[in-house]
Amino acid sequence: MHRYRILAPASAALAALLTLTAGLANETSRRDFSAAQKKWWSLQPVSRPAVPAVKHSEWGRTPVGAFIASKLEAKGIAPGAPADRVTLLRRATVDLTGLMPTPEETQAFLNDQSPEAFARVVDRLLESKHYGERWARHWLDLARYADSEGFKSDETRPNVWRYRDYVIRAFNDDKPYNRFIQEQIAGDEMFPGNVDALVATGFNRHFPDEYNARNLMQRRQELLNDVTDTVGSVFMGLTYGCARCHDHKFDPILHKDYYRLQSFFASTHSEDTVHLSPESERATHAARLADWESRTAAIRAEMSKITAGPLKTLYQDEFDKYPPEVQDSITAEPGKRTPFQWQMYYQSRILLKFTEADASKKLKGADAKRYAELKRQLAAFDSLKPGELPIAQTMIETGTPATRTHVLRAGAWDAPLEEVQPGFLSILDPSNASIVPPPAAGKTGRRTALARWLTDPSNPLVARVMANRVWHYHFGRGIAGTPSDFGLMGERPTHPELLDYLASRLVENGWSVKKLHREIMLSAPYQQSSQHRAEAARIDPSNKLLWHYNRRRIEGESLRDSMLQVAGMLNTKMYGPGTFPPLPAGVVTRGGWKSTDDQQEAARRSIYIFVRRNTRYPMFEAFDMPDSHESCSRRNTTVTPTQALELMNSELVMDWSRAFAQRVLNDPGLTTDAQVDRAYRLAFSRPATESERTSARQFLERHTPIMEARLAADAGDAGASKVPLPAVIPAGLSKAQAAAMVDLCHTLFNSNEFLTLN
Amino acid sequence: MLDKLRHHWQVRSRREFFQYAGSGLAGLALSSMVARDTAQAATRDPLAPRQGHHPAKAKSVIFLFMEGGPSHIDLFDLKPQLTAMDGKPMPESFGRPITAMGTAGNTLMASRRTFRQHGQSGLWCSDWYPHIAQHVDDLTVIRSCWANGLNHVGSVCQMNTGDILAGRPALGAWVTYGLGSANQNLPTFVILTDDKEPLGGPKNWSSGFIPASYQGTLFRTGETPILNTRPVAGSTARQQLSKLDYLKRVNAHFAEDKQEDTELEARIRSFELAYQMQASAPEAVDLTRETEATRRLYGMDEPETESFGRNCLLARRLVERGVRFIELYCGSGSGWDAHNNIAGNHDKWCRVSDKPIAGLLADLKSRGLLDETLVVWGGEFGRTPFNEKGDGRDHNPWGFTMWMAGGGARRGHYVGTTDEIGLRAVERPIHVHDIHASILHLMGLDHLRLTYMHNGRAERPTIVGGTLINEIWS
Repeated sequence: MHRYRILAPASAALAALLTLTAGLANETSRRDFSAAQKKWWSLQPVSRPAVPAVKHSEWGRTPVGAFIASKLEAKGIAPGAPADRVTLLRRATVDLTGLMPTPEETQAFLNDQSPEAFARVVDRLLESKHYGERWARHWLDLARYADSEGFKSDETRPNVWRYRDYVIRAFNDDKPYNRFIQEQIAGDEMFPGNVDALVATGFNRHFPDEYNARNLMQRRQELLNDVTDTVGSVFMGLTYGCARCHDHKFDPILHKDYYRLQSFFASTHSEDTVHLSPESERATHAARLADWESRTAAIRAEMSKITAGPLKTLYQDEFDKYPPEVQDSITAEPGKRTPFQWQMYYQSRILLKFTEADASKKLKGADAKRYAELKRQLAAFDSLKPGELPIAQTMIETGTPATRTHVLRAGAWDAPLEEVQPGFLSILDPSNASIVPPPAAGKTGRRTALARWLTDPSNPLVARVMANRVWHYHFGRGIAGTPSDFGLMGERPTHPELLDYLASRLVENGWSVKKLHREIMLSAPYQQSSQHRAEAARIDPSNKLLWHYNRRRIEGESLRDSMLQVAGMLNTKMYGPGTFPPLPAGVVTRGGWKSTDDQQEAARRSIYIFVRRNTRYPMFEAFDMPDSHESCSRRNTTVTPTQALELMNSELVMDWSRAFAQRVLNDPGLTTDAQVDRAYRLAFSRPATESERTSARQFLERHTPIMEARLAADAGDAGASKVPLPAVIPAGLSKAQAAAMVDLCHTLFNSNEFLTLN
Repeated sequence: MLDKLRHHWQVRSRREFFQYAGSGLAGLALSSMVARDTAQAATRDPLAPRQGHHPAKAKSVIFLFMEGGPSHIDLFDLKPQLTAMDGKPMPESFGRPITAMGTAGNTLMASRRTFRQHGQSGLWCSDWYPHIAQHVDDLTVIRSCWANGLNHVGSVCQMNTGDILAGRPALGAWVTYGLGSANQNLPTFVILTDDKEPLGGPKNWSSGFIPASYQGTLFRTGETPILNTRPVAGSTARQQLSKLDYLKRVNAHFAEDKQEDTELEARIRSFELAYQMQASAPEAVDLTRETEATRRLYGMDEPETESFGRNCLLARRLVERGVRFIELYCGSGSGWDAHNNIAGNHDKWCRVSDKPIAGLLADLKSRGLLDETLVVWGGEFGRTPFNEKGDGRDHNPWGFTMWMAGGGARRGHYVGTTDEIGLRAVERPIHVHDIHASILHLMGLDHLRLTYMHNGRAERPTIVGGTLINEIWS
């Protein structure tokens, strides 16, 4: 995303200056598009190309294989040989679930000699609940999802996890992608009363935020910019952000197109207490609350009276710090507030929201005493107070008429140029969007219009972008290599016909993502080996034509989950508020991290770990989890000593290695060779070879005396030995032997074979 | 022997460490761990040292970040007119800004400090910085800085990354991306803080959208400054080397038919480097070898200056070990944020920082390191000429002071001015991007050519701005 906020200074005069110095004629947007722009590939209607005939019959078996083989054959490159079955099973399992196959799953697949064996594996994996947990993580990267606000205080967003759960369910239920988009863009408008849709609209609530802002006009603009940029890149694969201050320098996105897209969202605000429970439940709740209120009316009235003075002072002190426009918005009569003023008002609420409890801290003497007494009296009624109802943090309409949207000179919030109405890319449709306000009062219907346009089967971008994303996650590289940039600065598709084929299949199949997975995974390109071949590399060194599968490191979340799984410790409980596994000593976090004492809870899948914007979970940060400040379509894959240190020296990996060793040693009567075999089957899904057994034996023989010496040295120490051992050491095995096996398992966790999707 | 090995993490020098690593462990074939890799391997190492765009004047940067916003008009930017207007409302002609605390209607407040000219250059410095005042002849004082943020977190973020919104690479990350690492066993972008975290935390030294290899490393206090550099569960060197040897064998088997895969090999190297860091990181922060005189120079003998003095001394040690970018927070967590009682607040933080910074400048100079080390001083913004709560000052991003010393910066010289009351930069306004562009320039990097392709744009450290401040070096 092109972060242009620097050119959004607090003064219009400065904006003018910057405009001049940048040499940008900003007053008018370009009106004519070049012939090349009009013919730009991603803006052309999606075609349904004929499947080419190819010589390699195994590849020609499926359309996907044929499209890939046809280009390889044209270049004289032989398609890759099939991957061996274990490699293929590991690849598919990690790819779809983020976990390793168990030895039993591996054996079952090896035993199934039928031609449909792999198709059955794919179906099984797609039906696994772990599929949603894996693929939701991809979507959360795109949605810049986090459980906290970011910025200075990085406060917790206590209810956004419902959005994460929504995404997991959406993938597991194979929610049609068009519906998935509609719910996230305009769920509240299009599906009123639908709880899922209300939660889904939280997609546009995931911007990093700083409540401690005084210039709320500027802040409102920054949030709208975030929403505009994100919607443009995630659904359309366009770098709209580049058009915030001027016409896009490369792509046919006009300066005004940026604000035409933005205006779909101009009448929204974030709302953190949207009720999700059914009407009947809420009525019961309201009745109980009314009962509690009537019984406590006198007590509460007196508390209010005592705290009224300090409360007013607290409020006034904060109120005075706002600029006049914001103050006017706050003091305006609710009936007379414009939607814009409502937005200012909503944004100011958090700083002005003082409770009587806050005010009570200012009380002194008799008042303080009396207040404490009243608090005690009130507490006696606590049992009558109804509990909390489930609520969502999401985005909703502010009201009608819609807040006006202007093109902003150099993106400056206070430098408005001409007013614009909601609209799409001018090159596709220069007219204003046709908007039909929904029957419900106070809704503009703007986002509904956008959602319908995005999910119209004739939209050239949306299905292509999604098909390409799915391909990207399967192969480590999209057909177009820049999944969120289908513009001039992005990479052109290597196989445009294949991309169109997949995009049209996605729509044909009722926007089913699972069917898309199946079609891709059952093709020869997906099932080929990752083997390098010198003659092919000479012609296509970067493998753009896909003559081998792209070997790559697994992601941090998969790594953690797989280690837990191999250790036999993974807790597969799904859903709910984020979990807080303990942090390594020395990691501090602003905003807090309430480490759980519950080891089961700490061993849940990575997607349930609380995402604190300013403190990524250290293991994930080391392994390139994006920082969730903006949408991420392609993770970096780095190799760093920090990662090696994490694997070598973190207590966690050592704990998991102990449990892993326990599983290896627990099988009674196993010889050393058989134990090594078992470790290999658990970690690598295969038995050890003869030479690997020899290496392992040599290691254990060398390492056991080292551990013996350590144990002996520790025996003299006052404290207990720190040597990691399995919880139970089987009879016949010395402590040192068990410790050596722990280190063997630890080494397998540190190995390239464990870390690599091959 | 065994006992000696168990404790080898406390060895006194790298040489001693490597002697241990190589001794008594015949058969564990680890010589490659210490040897520098082949040139071929180096080219695919993201941290391999690289040529800049032009010859560098500075090899390292020490960025002294006075977090919270020091008051330029009470330290370096003398404003007689403000003194004359003490207690009066600010004339509208200065342009009333929206401020963080809505204080622009408050009356002007003169500096209560005594300013004097110092050195041959005659640069002004107030009595809050008596030790630094003795070094003004080494400083280029930029009085006309300005920035975009009103709040701490956005402004700290901008001073580090160029943008008030988080998500971009920090300047130190760009330097690392541009030049690689000049050392083999320490991070090359290091952050030192007080006991508190700077506002916004790791976002301020993040690599943003460029690969994580370039991000800064926060040094923690204590013997093991880097996370996970303490061998797990009391592992001994012998135990670790035995495991690493086995890991090599396991990896060799996997790599048998994957010889061309450079990433697999890079990961093997990363384990070797990690192993070395277990010793080199504690060694770098081990101050027991520093003389009493040196410690005194940095104020480590007095409780008030002990902690920041320690960090300044650490910074010098890191420079000596080839670390390129050291960011050193003073008052991390908004220490300098004097909304009220600026006298008490700045009195404290000036005393905390004055002697250690002066000591650092003197020490670098006497060791011949100042010429190749750029020292930068500043906060995320300055403070307002109008009062807040009668005896404090609000945030001022419209005009504030930073200074540079060494590393090719001119000596004893001013750049730019603020208006008569110190509210806004008027002559030669210097934006944060200009500061960044100029620091990069001194490091041998051209901010316009230092780009990384991200979401369709060749992103650079200065986003769409940045003009070189030629007055700094010519």
